[in-house]
Amino acid sequence: MGKALDGVRILDFTHVQSGPTCTQLLAWFGADVIKVERPGEGDVTRTQLRDVPNADSLYFTMLNSNKRSITLDTKNAEGKRLLEDLVKVCDVLVENFAPGALDRMGFTWERLQELNPRLILASVKGFGAGPFENCKVYENVAQCAGGAASTTGFRDGLPMVTGAQIGDSGTGLHLALGIVTALYQREQTGRGQKVLAAMQDAVLNLCRVKMRDQQRLAHGPLREYSQFGEGVPFGDAVPRAGNDSGGGQPGRILKCKGWEQDPNAYIYFITQAPVWERICDVIGEPGWKTDPGYATAAARLPHLNEIFTRIEAWTMAHDKFEAMEILNKYDIPCGPILSMKEIAEERSLYDTGTLVEVEHPVRGTYVTVGNPIKLSENDVPVQRSPLLGEHTEEILSDVLGFDEARISALRMTGALGVPVQIAAE
Amino acid sequence: MTKPLEGIKIIDFTHVQAGPACTQLLAWFGADVIKVERPGSGDVTRSQLRDISNADALYFTMLNSNKRSLTLDTKTAAGKEVLTKLIKESDVLVENFGPGALDRMGFTWEHIKSLNPGMIVASVKGFSDGHHYEDLKVYENVAQCAGGAASTTGFWDGPPTVSAAALGDSNTGMHLAIGILTALHQRNKTGQGQKVAVSMQDAVINLCRVKLRDQQRLDRVGYLEEYPQYPHGEFSDVVPRGGNAGGGGQPGWVLKCKGWETDPNAYIYFTIQGHAWAPICRALGREEWIDDPAYNTALARQDKIFEIFGIIEEWLSDKTKFEAVDILRKFDIPCAPVLTMKEIAEDPSLRASGTIVEVDHKERGKYLTVGSPIKFSDMSVEVTGSPLLGEHTDEVLAELGYSADQIKEMHAARAV
Repeated sequence: MGKALDGVRILDFTHVQSGPTCTQLLAWFGADVIKVERPGEGDVTRTQLRDVPNADSLYFTMLNSNKRSITLDTKNAEGKRLLEDLVKVCDVLVENFAPGALDRMGFTWERLQELNPRLILASVKGFGAGPFENCKVYENVAQCAGGAASTTGFRDGLPMVTGAQIGDSGTGLHLALGIVTALYQREQTGRGQKVLAAMQDAVLNLCRVKMRDQQRLAHGPLREYSQFGEGVPFGDAVPRAGNDSGGGQPGRILKCKGWEQDPNAYIYFITQAPVWERICDVIGEPGWKTDPGYATAAARLPHLNEIFTRIEAWTMAHDKFEAMEILNKYDIPCGPILSMKEIAEERSLYDTGTLVEVEHPVRGTYVTVGNPIKLSENDVPVQRSPLLGEHTEEILSDVLGFDEARISALRMTGALGVPVQIAAE
Repeated sequence: MTKPLEGIKIIDFTHVQAGPACTQLLAWFGADVIKVERPGSGDVTRSQLRDISNADALYFTMLNSNKRSLTLDTKTAAGKEVLTKLIKESDVLVENFGPGALDRMGFTWEHIKSLNPGMIVASVKGFSDGHHYEDLKVYENVAQCAGGAASTTGFWDGPPTVSAAALGDSNTGMHLAIGILTALHQRNKTGQGQKVAVSMQDAVINLCRVKLRDQQRLDRVGYLEEYPQYPHGEFSDVVPRGGNAGGGGQPGWVLKCKGWETDPNAYIYFTIQGHAWAPICRALGREEWIDDPAYNTALARQDKIFEIFGIIEEWLSDKTKFEAVDILRKFDIPCAPVLTMKEIAEDPSLRASGTIVEVDHKERGKYLTVGSPIKFSDMSVEVTGSPLLGEHTDEVLAELGYSADQIKEMHAARAV
């Protein structure tokens, strides 16, 4: 087996989450990712939310595996020259700086193309062109601007953010998709191009069905939303739907045995029309199979609260895994609410490589989310994240062909960080 | 300008959301996507949640633009022959059937490879192969529950909550598209195709990476300092739901603006970023807090963060969400209005950037759809309407070399 992106070299200027998610994935596909960091401190997440004093945080280690780290002072003249050398030998430059920062560093798109016409420049932005394009955007800001917060949560409560990082990691994935597309096109054209993913757009791309519902609202109420059955009128914007399912099959999150103490003792339950009769048998309401008030999906819509309350009486008598086992036998779609602890302990996720245990020289072993995209011809083991500047010399010699004398001369200029003072003997 | 995927032919066996989101994106990038549908009914979403009777539903039209539709009964001999021909001439086959369905149709991976060694077969799964739930059918919210998103979304004193964003469906489709393009890139070098698979559970977990980070931090230190539960509440041994708190080191919350009593979306997200503390105080008219040691560090603010949010809400009470954001952005304070789908649908910037696109449809007229969230300097994505059921059947068959008579026979035999 090979590595899918073998031979692709990526200059990684990204930090925090969105960009590092993107370049980590490309590294898992076999690209050589060179992370350029500021001497001394590096990516700010190395020290954010630390759990082990003096060791790179999990925030950093879980988003920067399989990369190499070089420390470089881009304000130093030698450092800038070095960067130009790197641009010439890389295929992709990925950045999530604030708008205009790359230009101010002297690396305008025109200059980059001059240095390397095959270079793909990939950028994460908060917003696309428009009044907000210069605003700094964070995860939850993107969720609010992308329509996710307005449609998540309960009708009588606050707009709600989701725990999934659709603004950060989600945008990183979209950018990775753009990069592999541009790499593929470059095979034909021989030229690079600019690729851009805005966080607002990436969130919205996952809220497509809510844009569907916005347009359906013009033609009448959204019948699959619980509020329809409850007789609550709709406004002119898509409301929050609680735990309703988005498609045509009504679903809810229901309590299971132990819910009073365990905030995750719940199961997602879908009353899928083809298995309605089996649902009636399982919960002990065989009369509902033929009762015209319950027998058809359309007839059930106005009584969803009553129906789910009855089903919940059944689920509350079982723990979530028991309930799942019983429902599976009848092909009734459902899923337990898994906590992060249960996921972290789930052996089959390690067997598939979705979760991986990695050894780190400073912090010891940690668990990380591996490559969720399984290619049958891509054999790249997940490796730990690099220490700050760990590969500086290796990159200078392997990638740029510098000899030892040149590297130590470079070191004295401060381009790689404050020169180490060697005490006189 | 040529499109990146010009010349790539994709057999699209997918239906509903995850697969169609993937192939639609590839179609926007220039691939020729041939959607293979069951004669008569086609993709179930053509008729699901219809807003106009007898016209394809928005569910379908918003996930299947720029594709061609071929109706084909793969159970008939003629249908199998057409599929065989298609496989020989295509680059990618995408499917989201139940496990084993393609094998039962007679198209095992070995058989497909023997027909076309360069073929990439891409599959959406509920759970990964080898997972003890691999035989389960998975839907959007089931994936959100099994992938850790529901357990970590919502308020600590409320139920697990699903997200409106399609973490299980569209998001898995995006992951699969990355896999397909990566495999295409590799095929350029090796000439060989391969199998690509993404499970919905994995795609959700991949976006919940920071929650797995928090689980391990909790295991080690017993608390999570950026969650609202700290320092007053208690932590168990499981990552709790954090309400609307920011996931990184910066405290944030959804705050009420003018009109919240009647408008469920009159809110902004407000982040108290460490280095923006002085500008926040100035924007609020609370200059005295800038140097007050009880307020001027993140650590000092931690135990009174909701009191501070309360004061910010007072300041917001006479400002709409848009007015507030316009004031705050001048101070470089990260914030955003909670935008409704209605506001997004009407947003001129999103129209200008092509993120929101108006498309024509033969039966239903104009509709809005979400265009490509990925922008290229060398390509502008043109979004066209979704195909009617079987609209391109004859066209595709003719391209495969069938004569007009043969095509007529296939119609008569109900193979197409």
